[in-house]
Amino acid sequence: MIPARFRHVAPADLGGCVAALAEGGRVLAGGTWVLPEMSRGESAPAQLVDLRRAGLAELTATADGLQMGAMCTYADLLGSGPVAEHAPLLRTMAGGITGGWALRNQATVGGAAMAARPQSDVPAALVACAAVARVAGPRGARDIPAAELFAGAMRPSLAPDEVLAGFRVPSAAGAGSGYVKLKRGGSSWPIATAAAVVRLDAVGLCTEATLVLGGVAAVPVRIDVSALLGRVVVDDDVRAVTAAVADALPEPWGDVLAPASYRAAVAAPVARRALSAAVADAEEERA
Amino acid sequence: MTGEEGRVELRLTVDGAERTASIDPRSLLLDALRDELGAIAPKAGCRTGDCGACTVRVDGAIAKSCLRLAVADDGCEVRTTASMAVGGELTPLQQAFWDTNAFQCGFCLSGMLFAAEDLLERTPSPSETEVREAISGNLCRCTGYDAIVAAVLSCAAPPVRSSRGA
Repeated sequence: MIPARFRHVAPADLGGCVAALAEGGRVLAGGTWVLPEMSRGESAPAQLVDLRRAGLAELTATADGLQMGAMCTYADLLGSGPVAEHAPLLRTMAGGITGGWALRNQATVGGAAMAARPQSDVPAALVACAAVARVAGPRGARDIPAAELFAGAMRPSLAPDEVLAGFRVPSAAGAGSGYVKLKRGGSSWPIATAAAVVRLDAVGLCTEATLVLGGVAAVPVRIDVSALLGRVVVDDDVRAVTAAVADALPEPWGDVLAPASYRAAVAAPVARRALSAAVADAEEERA
Repeated sequence: MTGEEGRVELRLTVDGAERTASIDPRSLLLDALRDELGAIAPKAGCRTGDCGACTVRVDGAIAKSCLRLAVADDGCEVRTTASMAVGGELTPLQQAFWDTNAFQCGFCLSGMLFAAEDLLERTPSPSETEVREAISGNLCRCTGYDAIVAAVLSCAAPPVRSSRGA
């Protein structure tokens, strides 16, 4: 039993959710983060605006990628053909989520994004995919690129009266992806993650390269890997662009899982492994 | 819908029977099942989604019932492990748990049995790695897990891949 009293509403559409949230309270998505906080008495909103009946679980291919509703679960991602084709990085990320299938059936990508926890897999993966969030509020709808969606630890850049509707994810078909996660044990949150996307042209020259780190700072950190563009990427190139990754972390994240100094130390090897995996995957895509 | 003292009516199908209860709207699904509907197969362990002892199926999908508001599941079909054995006849998976001493106190069984059943439906011949991955998110404080893994592997459909040193 949750100790504090609250009102639970589950509007039948997005507009209803926005209208309800105008009266204050907290948005409920999959429930795997908000409900335990409420059970522990750490959060006591007067109202819960539940998105589950608002039709926000669509997951479809579009002309240039994916449309992914905020209520899509990790299980939805893993079962989706369009995700496998257009966003294999998200599929890999979803397959490594801690907590088993019961969690994957319940926890949502949108909920994880709005929890904005530095230790979560989701924020950095969304940034690496160049996802664009669609949010709705009393002043209308607007788009927020994933790179601008995280204002700080546990702090999304939405206004308190705005609701995340979903994401557009541009297609990464034909590109290679790599995802590496360092964690303490089977049921631990990530200490450091790295998500990489690499595209090669017909002769093997790199035309696109993205590397984003998660877990190592309050918000996802994009690493400049533009030195790879126009080159046939070899191991030394990967090593060179990831060698100084720690310098891109002015304030490494520290918590009970690992101190900041540890995260700064592991960031480079985690980054290197993800980028190497993306290059190898891109070479396979080209072959 | 709101009744006496702010209680609300909840309709659920629990292990095949249609049930109604007047519940406090703050109830987690776990609370409603155990305290209002007498369905005590799911256990209250951590209440934070970590241990898996409260696992049920909701409309077919395995779920941790401490991570769900009961009112949000109004109208859903819930299955607990109590529905597995029919007429006292254990399922092959339950029998395997019995035969390999895969449980002692039994507190973790809702999570372990449903995770294993769910895995075997999707992957009839899982590897040991796949079994260990599937039961992650479920804590057992008695067995050390090896007997649980052995029980699940013994239910794998042929051809059974080598589980050790594969």
